[in-house]
Amino acid sequence: MKGRGTGDRTKATPPGSLGFSGPPGQNRTRQRRKIWVVQGLIALSLILGMQLLNMVAGNLVMPTPLSVLRQAIDMWADGTMGWALWESLAVLGAGFGLAATSGVFSGILLGGIPFLGRVFAPFVTAMNSTPGAAFIPLIIVWFGLYTEAKIVLVWHAAFFPILISTAAGISTANRDLTEMAQSFGAGRRVLFWQVMVPDALPSILSGLRIGAAVSTVGTVIAELTMAQSGLGGLMIAAGNRFQMDRYFAVVVVLMALGTLISLGLRQAERRFARWRVVMAEAR
Amino acid sequence: MGEAALISLQHVGKSFKEGTLQVLDGISFDVRAGEFVSVVGPSGCGKTTLLRLINGLLAPDQGTVRVKGAAPVPNSDLAMVFQSARLLPWRTVAGNIDFVLALRRLSRKDSAARTMALLGAVGLRDFADAYPHELSGGMQSRVGLARALAVEPQVLLMDEPFAALDAMTRETLRAELLRLWSRRRMAVVFVTHDIDEAILLSQRIILLRPRPGRIEEIVSVDLPEPRWQNDPRGLPAFAQLRGHLWGRIQGMARDGVALEDLARAFPETEGQPRAEG
Ligand SMILES: Nc1ncnc2c1ncn2[C@@H]1O[C@H](COP(=O)(O)OP(=O)(O)OP(=O)(O)O)[C@@H](O)[C@H]1O
Ligand SMILES: [Mg+2]
Repeated sequence: MKGRGTGDRTKATPPGSLGFSGPPGQNRTRQRRKIWVVQGLIALSLILGMQLLNMVAGNLVMPTPLSVLRQAIDMWADGTMGWALWESLAVLGAGFGLAATSGVFSGILLGGIPFLGRVFAPFVTAMNSTPGAAFIPLIIVWFGLYTEAKIVLVWHAAFFPILISTAAGISTANRDLTEMAQSFGAGRRVLFWQVMVPDALPSILSGLRIGAAVSTVGTVIAELTMAQSGLGGLMIAAGNRFQMDRYFAVVVVLMALGTLISLGLRQAERRFARWRVVMAEAR
Repeated sequence: MGEAALISLQHVGKSFKEGTLQVLDGISFDVRAGEFVSVVGPSGCGKTTLLRLINGLLAPDQGTVRVKGAAPVPNSDLAMVFQSARLLPWRTVAGNIDFVLALRRLSRKDSAARTMALLGAVGLRDFADAYPHELSGGMQSRVGLARALAVEPQVLLMDEPFAALDAMTRETLRAELLRLWSRRRMAVVFVTHDIDEAILLSQRIILLRPRPGRIEEIVSVDLPEPRWQNDPRGLPAFAQLRGHLWGRIQGMARDGVALEDLARAFPETEGQPRAEG
């Protein structure tokens, strides 16, 4: 059976640690199946709710699920959705890519060199605490309304969470391990790249996960507030014309996109920081 | 002692917190090449600090530390075994040993062969590709020991390496350590809380008193070798040494060292006269 393979996982989680979990083993897969069933029911009732709301309050308040589906098919078929998705992904990818590289790099510097970290701490805090929207006018004045400006906005939104997470991970690197490496004669470079950075990998990855989520939000905001484009532009255009079925079709794509990104990154976190995950589970 | 000292400490003092906390004071002793010396003392008397000084991770405030006639630098023929194994969790068992071998600039091929040989020596050949979190505490300690032996040190510095283990594993690892030591004959400085363990393993015992850490007494242990074959614990000489050491500890207590410190320091040696205050 397919579920059997995951059964050995239960060893890592002491029974009762979740408060509600029953005896381990087979029951575990049965319980997972139960969760899926309930989740399916909830999704179904949401769709039914849409239909119901439509019948009570009319098309303007809530489109029927079927019309949303029909619109979605049309928009995919005539290429509108594909093009919008591509535009959004370009902004998101470029902005997040820049934020990830520059954020991890600066985070490593600021976390690894205590002097730099201390010098820049207030500035980082100030920038990170300012709502991102405050910089939109400035970005527009400096970079215009088009793709470059949007990329800058996304970069700015994602850069600080990534930097902060990375720096924190490096600066709190396990002292026991660094001392061990030093006692065997590790130089600064080895200490840094082979002990502190791998030790910080879980926080770097969780910084990237937060950064990706923020980037998605930033992309849509950029597409709404600057020259309308991509999924954000499509969405606001449909909303402004009260084409709610069209609007919902876009929202569903945005939802799926955000979910896929965070699932992908969580998977990466699992993979590269397996030891951390297992240690956390064993606790 | 004598002129052939491998490690030589003279009037060593060390303090922390800008000199307000004197941890070690006037520590002088030598360790010859191939000698097994234990350091015993209550918690907080500076045993770990002493090892760090010998390793060169710390520099003394007063006095001198010499290893092979020079101030020690981490790396030069010294290896540490820590109380917790301190393995890199993202590397496999073999990878952890490769890590220190790479620090010693060993070629990859030699390194792989030596890694396997060492894992064999500590009985973990089958676990070369396992990750530390997949090992029991005792197995992790063995990897820590194998890692230290891998660099073929002239000095092995061990900081309560078996304290966190259960009695049975500890017993096995003690025997293993003695066996490896008798084969390789590196000098060992072994920090422990356990007086029986100190007598069982070492040729000399350095007894420290706390606050600040000073040498209370240095005791030679003359028990028949090899001790992993004939357990000396039944011998009258063993009992006598143990009685002597406990006498000194009670003496410390009479001199005003807080009793609970000592009780915590020597917890699991059962059946000896308790210190009465
Ligand atoms: N880096 C440091 N900074 C400040 N104080 C320190 C530092 N290292 C050690 N100390 C202090 O020095 C004293 C001795 O510490 P040390 O770790 O050497 O004791 P120990 O004998 O190994 O104790 P234990 O048996 O509990 O391991 C302690 O009071 C400790 O708080
Ligand atoms: Mg200690």
